[in-house]
Amino acid sequence: MPDQAQLLDDERALIGELIADRAEQWDLSGELPIDLLRKLGARGLLCAEVPTSAGGLGLDSGQSGELTAYVGSLCSSTRSIMTSHGMAAWMVSRFGDRAQRRAYLAELTSGQLAAVGFSEPGAGSDLAAMRTRIRRDGDSVVVTGEKKWVTGARYADHLMILGRDGDEAAVVVVPASAPGVELVPMATAVLGCRAAGHWNVRLNDVRLPVGHLLGGGGQDLAMLFTTALSYGRISVAWGCTGIVRACLRAATEHARNREQFGKPIGEHQLVARHLAELVVAEQIATRVCEHASAAWESFSPDMVIATVLAKHVSAGQAAHSAAAAVQVLGSAGALDGHVVARAYRDAKLMEIIEGSNEMCQLILADHALTTSL
Amino acid sequence: MTDQTVEASPLTAEAIESALTAYLTEKTRTTTEIKPDEDVFASGLVTSMFAMQLVVHLESTYDIAIIGPELKLDNFRTARVMAALVLRLSADGTAADA
Repeated sequence: MPDQAQLLDDERALIGELIADRAEQWDLSGELPIDLLRKLGARGLLCAEVPTSAGGLGLDSGQSGELTAYVGSLCSSTRSIMTSHGMAAWMVSRFGDRAQRRAYLAELTSGQLAAVGFSEPGAGSDLAAMRTRIRRDGDSVVVTGEKKWVTGARYADHLMILGRDGDEAAVVVVPASAPGVELVPMATAVLGCRAAGHWNVRLNDVRLPVGHLLGGGGQDLAMLFTTALSYGRISVAWGCTGIVRACLRAATEHARNREQFGKPIGEHQLVARHLAELVVAEQIATRVCEHASAAWESFSPDMVIATVLAKHVSAGQAAHSAAAAVQVLGSAGALDGHVVARAYRDAKLMEIIEGSNEMCQLILADHALTTSL
Repeated sequence: MTDQTVEASPLTAEAIESALTAYLTEKTRTTTEIKPDEDVFASGLVTSMFAMQLVVHLESTYDIAIIGPELKLDNFRTARVMAALVLRLSADGTAADA
């Protein structure tokens, strides 16, 4: 489809132009320009899989993934916003009723920004410990609780808040400007994706019209979580592939140009091995992401496990690749804000969020034990 | 999209139930066939991770969209309940209109 190929080229060019060489400066200052995010959002790039009929770009999982990887290769903070905003749009698509889908997807493709609140002070991977309450009161819904490490909360117009709804669970779309919403900046700089606006959110009896409750609520907490996270995971996986690509590029360029002992350091065998490993890592991460995206595109039930696999493998490849790239660049890459220094910090965070290495391994092991492989 | 030829015969609860019990039996490592009214979540045979897999399977096999209020674990507990869901959503074409 030449039109689709042209569209992807145009979007890539726009992303390249908007981010250019400014990611380092954003990382150091710990903030993204809100204008950048609104432009990407209005173009539909922050949730590129939303159908064109709903105002989106209508990309398939693999196309959207390649754009995510491209953003990830330039700036993981911006890519984090893509992940959380895209996850918000996915949650609206899956859990919202028709009126909610129409209204919110139009907003999420017009420059308004969304963040998703999962984690709580006492509840990370352990869902049973989630304490945020969503209570219905006549025509209102009241949200009470605390969310932490909410990616993009700093910039968000809408906060998708997961909470308990009696014995069940629900998602409420909370306007960041609603009375009772308190956005709390982190006291210290975070390790990675420093400009992604990870803030904490307090919800002090936030009262909203019941139309803010996606699909009327009453869903299963684990199902909500798994469905929402599947999008987040494949997005992180592609973003990590982008990190690996940035590391491969930076290390190769440095090894080609930097001379020691009378020749480019890439001709020293121990450095050459790092480059070989980076080439391998780029292929592994790309292929595992393509495998998962193919499962999404063909509506294969394997998409759930393929996505966990992609997230786990890509995050690990990104962490190893970033460490190798810093090693190849030596002191040149040991400056905060440098592309490989950012990769080193950002990739470590990717081994923690959206299901830590260990949680992914538990899911994969459980899959092996309970299903026929 | 799928190798199951559900379109060959009219969609009946029995046909869907039987296809689903076969699917559940294949996907879980049980030596005995899953019964139509067996709660696969209560019996510990599958996890909530599998629920999403079931959603995707039902959507692709029966060309339906399971969204919004239908995404409850209770809709996926047994083959019988899932067959009812499939029939309901197939009849109500508006549900698939995203």
